[in-house]
Order: sequence, then C-alpha cells, then structure tokens
Amino acid sequence: MEIAESMVAELNVAVLVKLEPDFSEGSVSYNSDGTLNRAETKSILGPHSAIASAAAFYAKVMYGAKISIATMGPQVADLALRQAQLISDADSLHLYSDRIFAGADTLATAEVLKAGIIKMGDKSRIDIVFSGHRASDGETGQTGPQTAWKLGYPFLGNVISYDIDLRERLVRAKRLITLRGTPDIIEELIAPLPVFITIDPSYKYVLNTVSLRLASSKYQREAQIRVRSYKDYLKVFNAQQLGVEPNLVGLQGSPTIVYKVEKIPRAKPNRRTELVDGSDLVQLGRVAEKIHEVVRRRRDS
Amino acid sequence: MKSENQTNENRFAENYYYHLYVVVEHLDGKLIPVSLEMLGEARRIMDNFNSRYNSNEKVVAVVLGNNIKELCEELIFYGADVVIYAEDQSLEYPVNLIDTKVVSQIARDNACVSKFSPEYSESFKKPRYMFFSADSIGRHLSATVLAELESGLASDINKLVIEDLEIKHEHKTKGQLIKYEKILEMYRPDFSGFLWTTILCLDNRHPANLREYHPQACSIIPGVFAPLRRDPARDGAIIKFNAKIEDADRIVKIVSRQVIESSVDFDSHKTVVSFGRGIKDAPEANIRSLVQLAKEMDAEVGISLPISKRAYPVSDAIASLYMIPDRVIGTSGRKIAPALYLATGISGAVQHIEGMKEAGFVIAINVDTDSPIKDECDIFIKGRMEDVLPALIEQLKTQKQILEVSET
Repeated sequence: MEIAESMVAELNVAVLVKLEPDFSEGSVSYNSDGTLNRAETKSILGPHSAIASAAAFYAKVMYGAKISIATMGPQVADLALRQAQLISDADSLHLYSDRIFAGADTLATAEVLKAGIIKMGDKSRIDIVFSGHRASDGETGQTGPQTAWKLGYPFLGNVISYDIDLRERLVRAKRLITLRGTPDIIEELIAPLPVFITIDPSYKYVLNTVSLRLASSKYQREAQIRVRSYKDYLKVFNAQQLGVEPNLVGLQGSPTIVYKVEKIPRAKPNRRTELVDGSDLVQLGRVAEKIHEVVRRRRDS
Repeated sequence: MKSENQTNENRFAENYYYHLYVVVEHLDGKLIPVSLEMLGEARRIMDNFNSRYNSNEKVVAVVLGNNIKELCEELIFYGADVVIYAEDQSLEYPVNLIDTKVVSQIARDNACVSKFSPEYSESFKKPRYMFFSADSIGRHLSATVLAELESGLASDINKLVIEDLEIKHEHKTKGQLIKYEKILEMYRPDFSGFLWTTILCLDNRHPANLREYHPQACSIIPGVFAPLRRDPARDGAIIKFNAKIEDADRIVKIVSRQVIESSVDFDSHKTVVSFGRGIKDAPEANIRSLVQLAKEMDAEVGISLPISKRAYPVSDAIASLYMIPDRVIGTSGRKIAPALYLATGISGAVQHIEGMKEAGFVIAINVDTDSPIKDECDIFIKGRMEDVLPALIEQLKTQKQILEVSET
C-alpha cells in the first residue's frame, strides 16, 4: 500500500555525515593522560551519522525516496560516504573537498554544506535533509541547525521517529526534549516539506508489514552491490564548483578560533581519601561495614 | 603601544555592540534551573565588566512565551538588570523556527535598547555577548540565532572570562599582533573531559577580509554555574517586545506533548552505584556483578557517558537496561546527590565529577591510583572490577548476616 502510494510523488532526501574517530572499545586509543590518541585511533562513519543514514533508509523503504549522502572533508572522508551508502542504499555520494575548507568552525562548515545541498537539488529540490545528533569528536551539535537556517529549512531537532504524508507534502515527527531538572518530554510536530531533521540517538524505525520488510531486504542487497563500486556514485566538488565565497568558508570564514588548549587542572582534592587494597579482605570488610552503616542510617531517618 | 589604526578599529567595534543578552528557558510557568544559573554567571562577569570597563552595560534577560509576565520579575530577582519579553500564543512552547525569528529580532532592536540605555539607542546594532543553554532547546536555538546574526558560537561552556587579549593570527590579523578588547574567553571541556579548549569569537582585522563578528556567543552547560540567591529587593526594567510574526513563521506546529517519567530513579534511592570504561575486559560479567552489588545495597545503577555509546559487546538485555542515556551521571546526564555513591571503573572526567560531587560518601574502585576520581572519593579501593566486586559482595552479605543476628 505505502509503496504504491510512493509513486504518487517523489521524495528527495539528503544525509549529511561525518568521518570521526572510532570510539568503540578495541579501536580507540587513549594517551596515558586520558586524552584521545588520534594517531592510533582509526576513523569511521560517526555513530550519529550512521543513525541519520538509517533514518534516510526508512524513507527509501517507505516512500521510495532518492538518497544522496554528503560530507565535507579530505579525500579519505569518502570512507564515511561508503559506510553510509551501505546503511542507506544511497543513490549518490557527494564529497565537498577543498584545501580552503580546512579549519572551518560550525558556521563556515554550514556555509559549504548549504551550498552542497542547493547544488544537489539542482533539478529537484531536496525535501528532507537529515543529519546526526552531534559529532563524537566535536560534540557541538551546531552544524546541523546552522545549515538548516542558511538553507531556509525549518529545523526539527532530536527526532525519534517520523513519517511523511506524500500527498500533503507534510512531515509528522516526534522529538525528545531533555532539559535538566525537568522530566523528559516527547512532542509531536507537523511541518510542511522541506525540513531539516537531526536524528536523536534513540531513533529506531519499525517496518510493520511483510512487504515493507521485503522491500527493506531488497534495498539492503542492492546497497551491498552498490558499495563495491561506490566510486561510480561519488562526485567530488571543490569550492569553485560549489560556488561558495572563499571569504565565508574554512578558517577565513570562521568567526571563532581555538585560542588555547590546556589540560583541565585537577581541582584540589575535595575529600580526604583513604586508600584500600582491593585484594585485602579485611580492608574490604571494613568498607562493607561502612556501606551498611550509611544504608542503615538512611533507613532510620 | 597602540597604533592609531588599531585604536580606530577598536572604537569602530565599540560603537555598535553593547550588553550581555541571556536567552532563558522556562517550562509550564517555571524557569528551569539553567536559566537561573546563566543569570548568576552573567551577573558575576558583568559586575566585573562594569567595574573594569563601563558601568552602563547591562545583563539583559530575553524570554519568549505566553502569559509570562510573572516570570519577568523573577528574572530581575535572580540577577537581570533588564528583561525583554515577547508574548504570543505560538510562543507558548519552544519551536526553533519562530523562536529564532523573534530572538534575532530582539537582538537587533534599537527601540528596546533606547528604553533601558538611551545613550546607545542610536548606535546599537547587536548585543556584545549572548548566552544560551546547552540543552535540547538552547543548543539548537543558539546555532540558528547565530547563523541569522552571522557571528560565532561556542557550545558546552563551563568557564567564562572577559579580558583584553593580544592576538596574532594568520587569518584574523594577517599575522600582526593586535589588541582585542573585552573578549569573552569561552572554555569548553572536550569529549574526553581531560582537555579544556578556549574558544574566542573575533572580528576579522585582516585588511583583505575585514568583518565584524558580534555577538560573542556561547551555550552553557546546565548544572555548572551557581544561581544567585533570589533577591526580591532587586530592581530592573521589564520591556515588552512586539514581535513581528508572519504566518510563514508558524508553519511548524506542535500537535501533542507528553511528559515522560524516567524509570531510572536517582532521587528516592539514597545509594547509587555506577560503572565506566573499567568494565572493558569482561563487560557482561562485570555489569552483572555490579547489578548484584546494587541489589545488596538497594542502589540505583548509574553509568559514565562513554558507556551510553554502547561501545561494548554485551547482551541486548543488559545493554537496553543499563547502557542508556537516562543513566548517565554528569554534565551530559543527571546530577545526583545520594548519601552514598560507589563508582567502579570510572576515571573521573570533569563532566562526571560535576554530576556526583554533591554525594555524601563516595567510594571508588579503580586500578589506577592516578585517576582523578581518587581526589573525589572518601575511600579508594585499588583493584580490578573483576576481583573487587565479587569480594565486596561477599563481605556485604557476611556483614548483613552479622547485623541481622545482632538485631534480633
């Protein structure tokens, strides 16, 4: 049913992804002072980018969406595009790569991504842009909304599920709001296309019918074939091809700079620490006594 | 030794950007804690600014909503000199599109400024500084507002300083040493919690690419700064802003809102045990032991942030129950204050310490006596989780039997 309807109108979806350090155990390497050892840590498609790619795949299964994946970065960032294609069965891959893009802060990055999305939708406008919640290394969560604003797309953040009404050209989305000191809230929103959506880490899609699940495995098989020759789907754009103003991108276009990086000084010890040898059962016994004492005091009060 | 050129440029910037605007958040008629925390910090750094530079610049709280007149007074009591508020039915709950439009209008509005600082009403272009909250509303709102205002933004800040700085930068100053005045140094802890990065938002003084970047803006981590004590004797100006809202600004509609009560309960349990990356050698077994320990102690289970990223091979049952964002203790999660806190395999990154430092009694189990958690605990048990947890559980059981016997 849903698939038949999808023939009514097409849906163009873009996903903005990022190549990030692989923080999973076994891949990540830390220096002895607790900081990330970047040289020893491999790079992969960021976990939030992977979730955004899965959200786009849902649009493919449900609505037959055409998917384009884009990233800004050096040539090696095409690894992120390839991994995202495997998840989403993307129809095209776009790499925005130019030396002058280097060192960009979020505003200057958004300028490139905006130009890329406009370029991507040359013949038919992009209806939904997805991006991840935040990068695991930068962790600002600003690039998505800033790109949305520059595009003039309404921004929906922390989206945990969505559906599209193709006839009305509407998106219906649920988002999770977490504010410190208040209970969480789930909100349901409606917005006309086009929209820009960042996907919450808790996003999961459900395919309810057999036909949807069949469609899903068909696209998954297709994705596995496509990634073998992912370069056929890949287009690389430099600054000139994107038509961006050099003054607005990279270091030149960044309002902010990193002034200094320092180790966070250790605060003065707040407590007088008693050291216990974990293999000494007598000492552990005293710890257990202390625990019971605190638990009992609570019961009494 | 300033060159004439520099001085002129400084005056140039001086003529357009004033005040510190704080965009506050509220929910169901109440200001949320981070709003008061931001005002507290804003007050502290502007008091300092006022005595060092200029006594005319103010802390301006910005608040959007519907029927929020009462909140405005509270904002004054908590440190604002001025409150600018906008009311509309479509502003009742936060929606990024319309909020960005209205906050940006306020940030550019001279008429408001003329009411509380007439001396700047002609020249005012935008605020000098802006604060937002680094939560699911403020993080995105700060990003879109600063995209609209075309200036720089730093996220997740936990320390702020205003200073004059001598800057030499290839792009900002063409490699020349130039003095920038009244610069907001924005400190953000990185993802590891061990490095502190200072971000500055600076005008381009490069002759080939001159550009002014104001406001200097940031989002502030909730739970970091202390609010001021509420002072009903404080006085300030409350100004209503008539926002220009068009139909196109209302196209995103909220159809329902549902409050979710968390199944994780750190508040009524007076003991909390938690685990971090130290589980790595035997994740499943270690988590199971820890859960058993939690049962012995009648404790809720918490985790450090890296655990919520599920980078460990464990069963779905364990992962879906314990490796969830709801359980994160620290600046990215909950701030807790149990009578007893027991942290296992957690090194103690600043973000985590922020979340547990109010605990009554703290025990840490860790292999590394150099880890920062050692300075934040009352008892430090040196050892691997694999060895210490089962032994400690045994000791607890034995003690319990002794206690039960002695009580009867």
